[in-house]
Amino acid sequence: MSDLRDLDFEFSRRTMLAAGAGGVVWTTLLARLFQLQVLEGDRYASLAAENRVKLELAPPQRGRILDRFGTPLGAHRRAGRVTLIGEQVEDVPATLRRIAELIDLPADRQERIIRETARQASFVPVIVAEELTYEDFARMNVHAVSLPGVRVEMASTRSYPRGRDFAHVLGYVARASERDLGRLTEGANPSETELIRRLFKHPDMRTGRLGIEYLAEEWLRGTVGRHRVVTNAAGRVIEELPSDDLAPEAGRDVSITIDADLQRAAIERFGDESGAAVVIDIESGDILALVSTPTYDPNDFVNGISTSDYNALRENDRSPLFHKAYDGLYPPGSTFKMVVAAAALATGAVTPEQRVYCPGHYWFAGRKWHCWKRGGHGSVNMHSGIKGSCDAYFYEVARLTGVEEIAKMSRQFGFGHRWDIGVTGGKAGVVPNDAWKREALGEQWYEGETLNFGIGQGYLNASPLQLALMTARIATEGRDIRPNLIGVGPRPTEAEVPASSLDPEIMQRMKAGMFGVTSEPGGTARSSGDLGLGGPRLAGKTGTAQVRRITTEERNSGVRKGATLDRKLRDHALFVAYAPADDPKYAISVIVEHGEGGSRAAAPVARDILAYALKTDSRRAPAYRQTAQRSDTPASSRGTP
Amino acid sequence: MSWSGEIRTSAPSRARRFGRQNNFDKLARMPWGLVALIVGLAIFGTAMLYSSTATNPASADLPMKHFTRFLISFALMMGLALAPISYWKRAAFPAYGVALLLLIGVEFFGDTGGGAERWLELGPLRLQPSEFMKLALVMAVAHYYQITLRDNSGGFLIHLPAFAMVLAPAALILRQPDLGTALTVVAAGLVMIYFAGLYWRLILLALIGGLAGAPFAYFYVLKDYQRARVETLWNPTADPLGAGYQSEQAKIAIGSGGWDGKGFTQGTQSQLDFIPEQHTDFIFTVMAEEFGFLGSASMLLVWATVIVWGFLIAMRCNSSFGRFAAIGAVATIAFYVAFNVGMVAGLLPVVGIPMPLISYGGTAMLTVMAAFGLILSVHLHRDVKAP
Repeated sequence: MSDLRDLDFEFSRRTMLAAGAGGVVWTTLLARLFQLQVLEGDRYASLAAENRVKLELAPPQRGRILDRFGTPLGAHRRAGRVTLIGEQVEDVPATLRRIAELIDLPADRQERIIRETARQASFVPVIVAEELTYEDFARMNVHAVSLPGVRVEMASTRSYPRGRDFAHVLGYVARASERDLGRLTEGANPSETELIRRLFKHPDMRTGRLGIEYLAEEWLRGTVGRHRVVTNAAGRVIEELPSDDLAPEAGRDVSITIDADLQRAAIERFGDESGAAVVIDIESGDILALVSTPTYDPNDFVNGISTSDYNALRENDRSPLFHKAYDGLYPPGSTFKMVVAAAALATGAVTPEQRVYCPGHYWFAGRKWHCWKRGGHGSVNMHSGIKGSCDAYFYEVARLTGVEEIAKMSRQFGFGHRWDIGVTGGKAGVVPNDAWKREALGEQWYEGETLNFGIGQGYLNASPLQLALMTARIATEGRDIRPNLIGVGPRPTEAEVPASSLDPEIMQRMKAGMFGVTSEPGGTARSSGDLGLGGPRLAGKTGTAQVRRITTEERNSGVRKGATLDRKLRDHALFVAYAPADDPKYAISVIVEHGEGGSRAAAPVARDILAYALKTDSRRAPAYRQTAQRSDTPASSRGTP
Repeated sequence: MSWSGEIRTSAPSRARRFGRQNNFDKLARMPWGLVALIVGLAIFGTAMLYSSTATNPASADLPMKHFTRFLISFALMMGLALAPISYWKRAAFPAYGVALLLLIGVEFFGDTGGGAERWLELGPLRLQPSEFMKLALVMAVAHYYQITLRDNSGGFLIHLPAFAMVLAPAALILRQPDLGTALTVVAAGLVMIYFAGLYWRLILLALIGGLAGAPFAYFYVLKDYQRARVETLWNPTADPLGAGYQSEQAKIAIGSGGWDGKGFTQGTQSQLDFIPEQHTDFIFTVMAEEFGFLGSASMLLVWATVIVWGFLIAMRCNSSFGRFAAIGAVATIAFYVAFNVGMVAGLLPVVGIPMPLISYGGTAMLTVMAAFGLILSVHLHRDVKAP
């Protein structure tokens, strides 16, 4: 063992050194642990806490939309929901197939979810199913444990309890698209933008797309809150910590002036007809009904409407998506004759008793202008001209008054102005005159066109809302009534509302004429004069809006009547009225598209709606005026989609 | 503490069970204290695995698998410990040759697991030849020095083949690439060469050369991701979600353990999966978080005890093969522990070295337990003369 003895000496020296080196290494490691755990322990402890406790955005509850008497029109419903977080699911298609065994989940919907999971950031929950029935919810809840990454929860969804009745007024909410996000973050600073973008990724969040939902977005939205949650490294929520101090603040309610029951009754009265009706409380200008039919169910849009359903709505020839009462423009026809008469009296172009002889036609510029009554009205003054809606009389009166004066008077009644009532859309319509025609068509005004203007045809058009407003101003004998829809909420701020000053005496004559229409011999709507309430009558004016031009040959061979005509070519039936005739409370305009005659198609509808309003006292004091402060805060951002 | 485990009173019955007087003697002289420490570490490791997988039902069976592997490896260790030391010696060069061939095999037919070619599939077996090389290298170098040092012809030249024996497999392992194993292999080999009596001047020269060569290695040998891990050391917050994430989360876990930890299975970092690889290479963080400085320091001290014990076994061995083999085995284990703790504590780059007996992983468990078997064998055969 001599080899080892020599080595032993050397070994012991080297051993000491090696042991020393090992000692240094171990001491270094111990020192490092001491530094991390003891000296810097507190710092790392707080880092660990930050790591796991995250503040999640807590979406605020969207404010409700209430009718005049507090009936919820836009509310929320708690419903079961299933979501899936992409990064926590190993095999998304397999998981979806597994879910499909538990609840109804069609294959195409599964594919949509798979696509969305791929598109979204992997930690964003993707909605698998919503509006679960109680049974489905319970079943999913039991099985969710064995489905990692799948969450079953109660969610708050926007719902529209009155469904179709308020589609055009309320609009609807939908999940924010990239375009919505762009709009919602407009003008926001980067951190606000980030917050809004994150908030609207939350499956509970919706944004208004149309109507009041759109315009009152900020009022309804509320203030976002936070809740503290413990998450793991993958961002999965392990535990929720109490965080009342950071709770979200629910959005404010919006109250509108409409009486939901009257709205319902009006829509039902239309039946299968397409058209529009507007009821105004003539004292306050409150819109009590704003009807456009047929309509659609905004609930279908909240969770995303299918393309086929949407196309069906879009291609329906009765245009359910179109807000006829506010966006629709129609030639007012004979309902416009009060405006012409008022212009004539105001300018002194004619006196009330001045007579025009109507043989059934009127000669002007070598052309024969027809009155609707082929046999003629005989000798007609202003009262009987309105009552019998004599076209010949109004050709003459319009010619004597002139286009400019009629146009000026039209504006006094609210035509040619877009009335902002806090709903998206709205049309100003056209009040033609020489300047307008030169501007729009590059042509001068011809006097023959004044004659057409005189019977509410030609270039003139107006919305049902404007016609109701006109009627309200007549009924109040010239008060400057303005339409109003928002009771509590972001109220429209109109920089320049055209002021109106109408002569009460002239207005009394118009009222008398309208009373004649429904209540005197020779009136065009006598059959609809009685409201059926044992006394009160209504006063109104019929109208027919031509959809096609009647040719001379046709007139000579006898004008074809509706039954032989394509529906699309039939005239629109109009009726404007107020009631009760002796003490007006309500003004209404009704248009029945392709309904042919105002007295036959539109007047009965108007009568029944007015009767319902009177019977149920729709205009009684609204609930919000007793409970809430009427707010005049304007919406901070306005726009049209 | 007894170095030889005083259990002679109950020995006869054991002897009868094992049949041969020879093995009975060996069992009686077994350093049971060291064996107890090994068993204790493995049980503790199983508990830590349980904690690190507690929130993940998919890996609930890992602790049991770990412990089963330990039991199998334990039997192997005892078998290897009792086997005559001459077996080890005879097996040394063939084992080294086979391991080298396997490494070359990996180079050509290797299976990519986790981005590096480390695995070799031989029928049903899935081998990691680099792990076996660790032990084979130790044995072969020990055998080599036993032969060359006997005639004491000395000189610098006798160390050259030893260097070659170390660097050849190290280069192959580095190519896989497995920086951690390559480093362990080289370090253990160098320790053996150092004890074989390499001139001090040469050691000094090697140190200087190593330091000078480091930048070169950094830029030309290391891969991009390895460089990123080294950079992370100096600037851990530069890329907190990328290369630095694991390191940073590990430090947070260790540091937040404080003095006495958050309690078993109460570590927020580990229970919420903030640390990647927390059941394998980073399991020390789970322990440090849940048992604090007291726990992590105790673990280092237990390892120090095991290593010193092994080292003393080497020193007391009377055959140069036994002595060198034990030194190599102890050095391998010591580097495992030091590199692992250094890595998770943010002192060394993340190179992927497991904590022996604690980290989950089959091949490493086998290697470590075989190394312990070698050490125990050296202890039991310390007076057996070298042939």
